[in-house]
Amino acid sequence: MKRIDFKNTSAQKIYNDYFKRIERCSTVLSKEDRTDLIMEFNSHIYEGLQKNTAKDELEGLLNILENLGMPEEVLKPLIADKKLRQATKTFNPKHVFQAIKLNIKNGIVFGVFGLLYLFLFSTIFLFIAKIVLPNNTGLFYSNNEFQSFGFVRDYKGYNEVLGIWFIPLVLISTIILYLTITLLLRIWRKK
Amino acid sequence: MNSEFVNKWTSQVKKGTLTFIVLNILKGHEYYGYDLIEQVKKYTEIEIAEGTLYPLLNRLKKENLVTSKWVEQETGIPRKYYTLTNIGNNTLSEMKIYWKKMEESIKKIQK
Repeated sequence: MKRIDFKNTSAQKIYNDYFKRIERCSTVLSKEDRTDLIMEFNSHIYEGLQKNTAKDELEGLLNILENLGMPEEVLKPLIADKKLRQATKTFNPKHVFQAIKLNIKNGIVFGVFGLLYLFLFSTIFLFIAKIVLPNNTGLFYSNNEFQSFGFVRDYKGYNEVLGIWFIPLVLISTIILYLTITLLLRIWRKK
Repeated sequence: MNSEFVNKWTSQVKKGTLTFIVLNILKGHEYYGYDLIEQVKKYTEIEIAEGTLYPLLNRLKKENLVTSKWVEQETGIPRKYYTLTNIGNNTLSEMKIYWKKMEESIKKIQK
């Protein structure tokens, strides 16, 4: 592929760097697709420079690259889609794994939040369990060794050490957990 | 007015209609990437990261709605031209029918 030559050395550096980024984030593509992609971006930059209205080469290039967007962001759907096709076509576990990794990012985030919420419900459950079945719920020691925190079916030989303090402890944990999850969710949504 | 809500909604509408816009522009014309983006910008106020148009074109190609070919240039840097396929043309016609219906419904619904 014919690369563009710039008179301005800074422009040349920025251009080279941009292509390095495209190359870096497109390694999952086949060689043919990758060359095609790079050629197309090269063509876009070249055509843009021909119609450049900025005062110099460097500014023109910077405008074009800014409008194009970051390769890491812009190429995400293309790469995820290509990988998924490759994976479903070949059954190769390597491709399948990469495709899942690329496509399921949102899935994982929701999965993590799901787990956190499950954890939250289990603390609420413990709070109720302590009222209904106080002997089975608490912080259990046996022979001065920590045995269990939460709900146990058989508490014989166990020594529950928290007593009624178990309730405020669980309640405070629930509130802290709830606030943390909501805050995390808010940060993630704003992103 | 909840401007954050309006912004989110506008960006969803833009994302959702970009394919329709691109197919309409390509109807009866042949464009290379940069030129196509210029056309999108000329007719609409869509401010997208221009780079996102290439993944979109790629998807349309995979769906057999458009086809592309590299054309050598004197400058040594070839252009990739895109055109609608027959399937693309027919698909666009179908989309236009839906769009028309949608437009009428929205007009009726608005008070």
